Amino acid sequence: MSDRHDLTRRDLLITAAFVPLAALAAAAQTEPLALTSEQMKTLEAFIDRLIPTDELGPGAVEARAQIYIDRVLAGPNANEKAQFLEGLAAVNAFAQRTQGAPLADLPAEKRDLILKAIDEDTAQGLPQGREFFNRARRLTLEGMFGDPYYGGNGAFAGWDLIRYPGPRPAVDAEMQHMDVAPAPFHHSAWGTRYK
Amino acid sequence: MATTLRPVDVAVIGLGATGGVAVLPLARAGLKIAGIEAGTWMDPHRDFHADEIFNNVRRQVTTSPKAQREIPTVRTGPEEKARPPAAHPMMNAIGGTSIHYWAQSWRLKAWDFKTRSETLQRYGPAAIPAGTTLEDWPLTYDELAPFYDIIEDEVGVSGAAGNIGGKLTGRGNPFESPRAKEYPMPPLRGSGFTDHMAETARKLSWKPFAPPAAINSQPRKGRSSCVYHGYCGLGGCHVSAKGSTAVTTIPEAQKTKNLTIFDNAHVTRIDTDGSGRVTGVRYLRNREEFFQPAKVVLLAGYTYENSRLLLLSKSKLYPRGLSNNHGQVGRHYFGHWNSFVTALFQHDINTWYGLPAQGTTCDEWADDNFDHSGMGFIGGSSLHVMTERHPIDASAMNTFGRAPSWGSAWKKFIHDNAGRQSNTYIQTNTFPYETMYLDLDDEITDPLGDPVCRINTGGMRENERRATQNANSKMEQWFQAAGAIEVIKTPPFVPGVSTHAYGGTRMGDNADTNVVNRWGFSHEAPNLGVLGASVMGTSGARNPTLTAQALAWRTADYLVKNWKSVSS
Repeated sequence: MSDRHDLTRRDLLITAAFVPLAALAAAAQTEPLALTSEQMKTLEAFIDRLIPTDELGPGAVEARAQIYIDRVLAGPNANEKAQFLEGLAAVNAFAQRTQGAPLADLPAEKRDLILKAIDEDTAQGLPQGREFFNRARRLTLEGMFGDPYYGGNGAFAGWDLIRYPGPRPAVDAEMQHMDVAPAPFHHSAWGTRYK
Repeated sequence: MATTLRPVDVAVIGLGATGGVAVLPLARAGLKIAGIEAGTWMDPHRDFHADEIFNNVRRQVTTSPKAQREIPTVRTGPEEKARPPAAHPMMNAIGGTSIHYWAQSWRLKAWDFKTRSETLQRYGPAAIPAGTTLEDWPLTYDELAPFYDIIEDEVGVSGAAGNIGGKLTGRGNPFESPRAKEYPMPPLRGSGFTDHMAETARKLSWKPFAPPAAINSQPRKGRSSCVYHGYCGLGGCHVSAKGSTAVTTIPEAQKTKNLTIFDNAHVTRIDTDGSGRVTGVRYLRNREEFFQPAKVVLLAGYTYENSRLLLLSKSKLYPRGLSNNHGQVGRHYFGHWNSFVTALFQHDINTWYGLPAQGTTCDEWADDNFDHSGMGFIGGSSLHVMTERHPIDASAMNTFGRAPSWGSAWKKFIHDNAGRQSNTYIQTNTFPYETMYLDLDDEITDPLGDPVCRINTGGMRENERRATQNANSKMEQWFQAAGAIEVIKTPPFVPGVSTHAYGGTRMGDNADTNVVNRWGFSHEAPNLGVLGASVMGTSGARNPTLTAQALAWRTADYLVKNWKSVSS
């Protein structure tokens, strides 16, 4: 398991705060682990519509769910990597076929039409669409709402969205009242460097 | 060739919830014990975390190699091909599943021990479910009660007595069978939501209570009290407030220096001699084979493994498997029926923190606590609402038809509602049936080539289905009275691989229908004892662990008091 020692992209940015801009750009362009850069763009274009950035705050991409997905496909979920990427490629081909461009080049409204077709089981010629949708959605939820230690939930955007108050070491009775929302506790269970 | 180890008095196979308690009375009595465990010690700092991905998504506490390599397969019956589920819900470790369980620590009721005769007396023979192999237990609640007292003290159970010596206390469960004394600790505190549900239940004229749990509600015996942080289920307790045998009875037994633990030891067979007695235990550790001779063997694996190891341990005198000359090993198996009702509230209920054992239970619709005349079933279900909600799980919530499953509209829905949903835990009295049994799979094996256990479910049970439906509608009534705006009742389903698996080595006086006698020793191999819910003939409407532990202590106590006759 490589999680414990991996730097998150944000860590790289923080580490790089006092280094020249060129080096910073190089750090930010770190290659994904399981996906190619092209596949990463397609994945981002997809999950950006699952959980969009809007007036309620960051969406899946801003919260780095794609980093989580890339990491698990390179590690603990490696056995589903091939199938997942096959599904991603099929969705991209569907985009090309029905909207005339790869997913990453389409505006949000057109990508929404593609997700809608898959979700409503009307996507012709995309037999693996439903399975991919479900898996991509599940992994996006894990990336968005899991502990930032695993690369996603950047700046605790997922926890703030659903108003989950965070993994406190201990919880007193007042924090369990029905009418009191505990103050957000923005801490990873694995230490303050993960956020 | 196997390396033969120094003989011991007792070899205990498995140091989980039941083997882990049985070693204590044996060790205190001065018997030399080999505790042979497929897992090893877990470290609270390394292994136990407030992290949903670690505990619940990747199941890193519960993913233990041996269990995951021998996941039972499931089929309805011989006409079907059996298939394994994705994972085994149990684990191997010192402490076993008592490390990650919810720690709800119930006693069964007097009725659970005498369900057949009580049903015949109250409702007549037509009320006995068709096809059941239900028998009265060979012991009564009163005979087990002193051992419940012992376990509640040794592992540390918090709770409120509802009935002390036949007098209702006005607290606790008014339907429980009489206790000799109060619990060692007061119950865990409620949360705002569980208190609200209790108040609602009282308005319905029900009698809600805080259920018992093997979790410290206050510091006790050098262990911390519960911190209510919301990562109890499938996680180990990092402050050791949960009374796993790894932090209670096993360390106590080690103090006597009479218990030697052999960890990472994969037991493959129990050996026997020409007279039908067991001689010891064969196991693999790092691919090396060892034989541990013992005067007495106590088999304390999980329900599936208990039947499987007996069926695998064939010999001249036991051609169909150890202690199976009456063909009863694997029979009278049943997985606990449970069901789920989900409610949505209009306001935040704040159940993020807490733990599944922090809750409110109602027992009006369980056991024989209500008149079943004309209802078409016996038994019933306990209703339990609780706390502990994890963020990923919450984000994957049902949208109750009020939103799509993605996009901004969904985002708004979970923003508003992730903290407004309540789940339940509903456990149903379950009984054994002719067509429900365990055997060995004829295709799927573990890496050693030994067949895995196969569950034959026998399909839907009309009695349990009706009981579950009755409970679901009572739960719906409770939620609606509490202000729920949506309620979803999951339809009754047949249990597959279960964390509440019973039978297969049932306890009873009749050797033709039971594997072990009233003390937990084999009817056929007299120096072989079996521990665990595999000896139980009914489930009750409650979690099995405390009962399995009380029975285990009782078997060990019997062994100590009858050492000469059992061991030679």
